[in-house]
Amino acid sequence: MKLRRWSYFLRQALMNIMNNRLVHVIGLGTMLVSILLFGTYLLLFINLNAWVQGWGHSLSMSVYLEEGISEAKRDMIASWIKSLPAAEIERLITKEEALKELRRVLGDQAGLLEGLSANPLPASLQVVFEKGEGQRIDPERIKKELEMLEGVEEVQYSEDWLKQFKGLMRLIRVAGVIIGGFLCMGILFIVTNTIKLTIYSRKEEIEILKLVGATDWFVKMPFLLEGTIQGMVSGILALFILFAGYYLLSTEKIHFANLGVFDLVFFPHGYMLLILLASVALGLVGSLIAVRRFFDI
Amino acid sequence: MIQLFHLFKDFGPNVALRDINLRILKGEFVFVTGPSGAGKTTLLRLIFGSERPTSGQILINAINLNRISRSNLDRLRRKVGFVFQDFKLLPQKTVFENVALSLEVIGERRSFVRKKTHQSLRLVNLAEKEQAYPLSLSGGEQQRVAIARAIVKDPLILLADEPTGNLDADLTKDIFTLFRDIHQKGTTVVVATHSQELFEDSGQRTIVLKQGKIVEEK
Repeated sequence: MKLRRWSYFLRQALMNIMNNRLVHVIGLGTMLVSILLFGTYLLLFINLNAWVQGWGHSLSMSVYLEEGISEAKRDMIASWIKSLPAAEIERLITKEEALKELRRVLGDQAGLLEGLSANPLPASLQVVFEKGEGQRIDPERIKKELEMLEGVEEVQYSEDWLKQFKGLMRLIRVAGVIIGGFLCMGILFIVTNTIKLTIYSRKEEIEILKLVGATDWFVKMPFLLEGTIQGMVSGILALFILFAGYYLLSTEKIHFANLGVFDLVFFPHGYMLLILLASVALGLVGSLIAVRRFFDI
Repeated sequence: MIQLFHLFKDFGPNVALRDINLRILKGEFVFVTGPSGAGKTTLLRLIFGSERPTSGQILINAINLNRISRSNLDRLRRKVGFVFQDFKLLPQKTVFENVALSLEVIGERRSFVRKKTHQSLRLVNLAEKEQAYPLSLSGGEQQRVAIARAIVKDPLILLADEPTGNLDADLTKDIFTLFRDIHQKGTTVVVATHSQELFEDSGQRTIVLKQGKIVEEK
């Protein structure tokens, strides 16, 4: 289509928006709130997901050693661990240190330990798997292999916790899809009604345009542009507000459930583009519905 | 240019036109007259394609309106100018914008639109009022804006429905002179009117309608 036609359509669309300011401000505001709601949800999901992933990558493991293990065997276990990719022995906790630590944790109740004839706690190696190695760590496999080594009594890592969290993430993802679906329907309803009102407000002009020889698409195009503009502006504003919120929060160190510092992340570029495209598409589809349903000339 | 064969048009129980057979040649000037409710407006609307006949055929420039697609009808309307009884001007647009609309919808160049709109407004003697809004104009001026909009695209056919309905005798004469000028440029003109002074001494072909039928041709 010729450029001057597009400039005419754009002028008409902007004029429609100006002439129906209130309707458009309300429509745009509602659409913005909907995108913000979904965007906030998505942002929370992305952050939780990143945090869970990060936590999985920096896994720590306790390797409990058998009673009376020889130094040679202990060294052999240590060198086996060191040969694992991304693994590092943080420290060796001797039986005495373990008991001392337990005493510290028990605090006032430490007297309970006085009755013990011998130290029942095993020595252990604290192993940390560093993140950023680019490979997935399979703690279950490492645990099994370690437990097969002579001198290893038991291996523990917080596997259940991680599994539970991953289950929760799946639930959040499903809920996100459902919420997103409802919000999309809501947005379509809003855009359709906004465009319907502008079509009604220009009914006389549409009739005259048709009488002087305008094609259906010539008359419809400004309305489609109107919906698209509404979608685009809402999407851009929502991303801007979400980024502002992220920026304000990310300057503070967030602590989450006593599990350490929680570094915030923003949408990757692909997600931002997706939100923008989805907003534009919703605006366009909403106005298409309005034009198809309420255009009766 | 315009051919009507056994044309009937009903609006529910009311019969607006019955068995109309008419042939208007290229470059002809025809008056359609008759009392109110005789079917003049319906006849013009059928020729314009804004109404469909109940039965019968309409051929415009050898195109059958019964078989025309929606988009081709839009294209055909670009060759037909219509001056409406109620003017159908957009109050929020200026005189210039109202007239330019006919060319803008065809996608003409801006410079061409400007040139033709100025020409058209000069022809109807409204060049000095191009920035005025329709509601600030008199009835006669609004009628002339409507005529300017109809002729700006150099139509093959000009249809006018009661173009002097609300005008005094002097203005009626002016409007008729305008139509004659347009006709002399080769446009086929069909004017529906009930004002006798317009057609009586004009010497043009006149078709008289009564209760939806052609009762006389002069």
